[in-house]
Amino acid sequence: MKRLLTTSTAALLLAGPAFAQEVTLQFWDNQQTESGLSQYQQEAVDRFMQENPEIRVEVTTIPYPEYQQRLLTAVQGGNAPDIATLDQIWTGAFAAAGALVPLDERAEAAGVSRDAFFGGAWDSAVYEDGLYGIPFNVDVWQFSFFNRALLEEAGVAPERLATFEGLREAAEALSGEGRFGVGLFGHQGEDTVVVANSFIFSNGGQVLAEDGSCALDEPAAVEALQYLQELSQFAPSGILNASSGDMRELFLNGSLAIEFWPALEQPTLQASDIDWGFAVGTAPEGETPVGTFGGWNLSVFESSEHKDAAWKFIEFLTREDVNGDVVDLIPANVAAAESFLAANREGADRIMAHLENAAPRPLSPHYLQIADAQMDLYQDIYSGAEVAAAAEEACARIDQLR
Amino acid sequence: MTRRDQWLLWLFLAPTLLLMGVFLYYPMIGTVWESLHQSSFISPDPEFVGAQIYSRVLDDPDFGTILANSLVWTVGVVALQNVLGFAAAMLLNQGLPMQGVLRALVLMPFILPGVVTAILWRFMYDPQLGLVNSLMIRTGLVEDSAAWLADPGTAMAAVIFVAVWKGFPFSMLIYLAALQNVDESQLEAATLDGAGPVRKLFDVVLPAIRHVVLVNIVLTLILTFNYFDIVWVLTRGGPQDSTHIFPTKIYETGFGQFQFGEAATYGVMSILVLAVLVALYVIVERGTSRRRPEA
Repeated sequence: MKRLLTTSTAALLLAGPAFAQEVTLQFWDNQQTESGLSQYQQEAVDRFMQENPEIRVEVTTIPYPEYQQRLLTAVQGGNAPDIATLDQIWTGAFAAAGALVPLDERAEAAGVSRDAFFGGAWDSAVYEDGLYGIPFNVDVWQFSFFNRALLEEAGVAPERLATFEGLREAAEALSGEGRFGVGLFGHQGEDTVVVANSFIFSNGGQVLAEDGSCALDEPAAVEALQYLQELSQFAPSGILNASSGDMRELFLNGSLAIEFWPALEQPTLQASDIDWGFAVGTAPEGETPVGTFGGWNLSVFESSEHKDAAWKFIEFLTREDVNGDVVDLIPANVAAAESFLAANREGADRIMAHLENAAPRPLSPHYLQIADAQMDLYQDIYSGAEVAAAAEEACARIDQLR
Repeated sequence: MTRRDQWLLWLFLAPTLLLMGVFLYYPMIGTVWESLHQSSFISPDPEFVGAQIYSRVLDDPDFGTILANSLVWTVGVVALQNVLGFAAAMLLNQGLPMQGVLRALVLMPFILPGVVTAILWRFMYDPQLGLVNSLMIRTGLVEDSAAWLADPGTAMAAVIFVAVWKGFPFSMLIYLAALQNVDESQLEAATLDGAGPVRKLFDVVLPAIRHVVLVNIVLTLILTFNYFDIVWVLTRGGPQDSTHIFPTKIYETGFGQFQFGEAATYGVMSILVLAVLVALYVIVERGTSRRRPEA
């Protein structure tokens, strides 16, 4: 009997690994905001594990303020996850550092191509002709969300907000008596950069020229910056330390008429008592507004021992039937985005058009330093500095990075 | 000490030395080494550049701004925190009614985590919705709302105020413990000699607790100079770098821009500046105490 037990135990121990999961993937994600998303995300992960029983996925979500530092430390310490979502603006630096796996061959073999995604989002994952990520989710800055009651009271037609001159006139008409016309903000944060960029892009300007040199001191950019400086007089006081979140507080309490946010703002406004609407970006009369792309890419780390399994998971997450269930921005897969927007956002067609026309931020491994110079520039401008001189100073800093 | 005792001594010291070596001296030496090498996240292979990064940092106008801000911040917080802490300790040493409750109330800011304190004060300072402006307008101190944290002219003062609000109970606690040990007979003798409260404070109390004052000031000097969370959450070093101090610059350069060599250089510079500050204070204090008779 004793011998039988021993033999059975040994057989069970030997048989064990055959039933165990063969691969465990570590997946890190920025903690997305929409309540209940994590439940859907977990359901999608469970579905993936059912479809691929040999792969197990462990999801770690990290709040945005800590995420960049955690990833950086993990990569430096050789403890990177297998897969992570990377902010579009980080992809270049992580690729240049050799931390990411080029995905070109895998994408080509699997038939995953730029056509299925928003072009600007796909381009944000390309560094020196190599593909280092697959777009996961996207959004675009800026939409001008307005308080319909305040606009009606001031006699402002919402369509006017889509043009430079119309927005300026509206901001002036909507300011006064404890109310503020426009929620411009200028703290040291990326939201400051993307909003200013959208005005520069819409005016035909660029941050970097084709040859990589700074273009913020070119006439189109300077003109847009002068416009922003003028517009800032109709913003609440203290914008040098204010973020999009601070402007949201004022918008929700009815003291701010127009706030700048991506489409992500809609769920918050839908849950509020405000009668709101939105204009798609702002451009000179007769021009189409060009927004600034935001969003996240899925990348595989070089240190991963399970690169094929990781790629399989990325393919799954960006599939048309899955992508919309696992994001709170907008799915980067265009087909998934169409159904997501129709189901979750007002004005889906207008949002789609703005996404298709959006431009990415500079695809440079020095992006974070470029953005820092831009933040300083915008703070100077909102403090009343001479625009052309401030732009030249910023360009001198940016060009030093080349 | 016998040979066996010496062995025992080193044996007991070994765990502490090992931990300090791994977690303190190794990173410190690593930081100095890093500051002599050009390296960033995108060019991780360190290239020896000698003092080039130091020279670049010293030539950068940002360095002057950060040094000046760090001095204003440190001196401002340390001075106000200690004066206020000492005044509060004197008050709470008078045997007031409900003294225990008062002490607990005064200690509240010190118990709050720095990040919570900063978020709380961000709301309080809000130009449109904040309590600070509301109170100041109601009491007639200002006519219009001010953007305390968004104006380069007021941001540093506003941030210092928050740090003092949070930190003075720490100084108060130490001073209170010291005051309770001042020899009552000396105070009584001074009273009999006709000394008033001010004379007793300067000629009896302060000399009696001067070692505590030294420790308190050096401690708050080091803690304040290295403060990060309150400044970062309140202003991120802005507006226009007006509240950028060494720790925020190091964090922004290292973790915000992935420039490790430059961040390490700022780190080494900050240690040097702090060492000079502490040494200056200790020298001044010793010089003063030599000219003063022992209490």
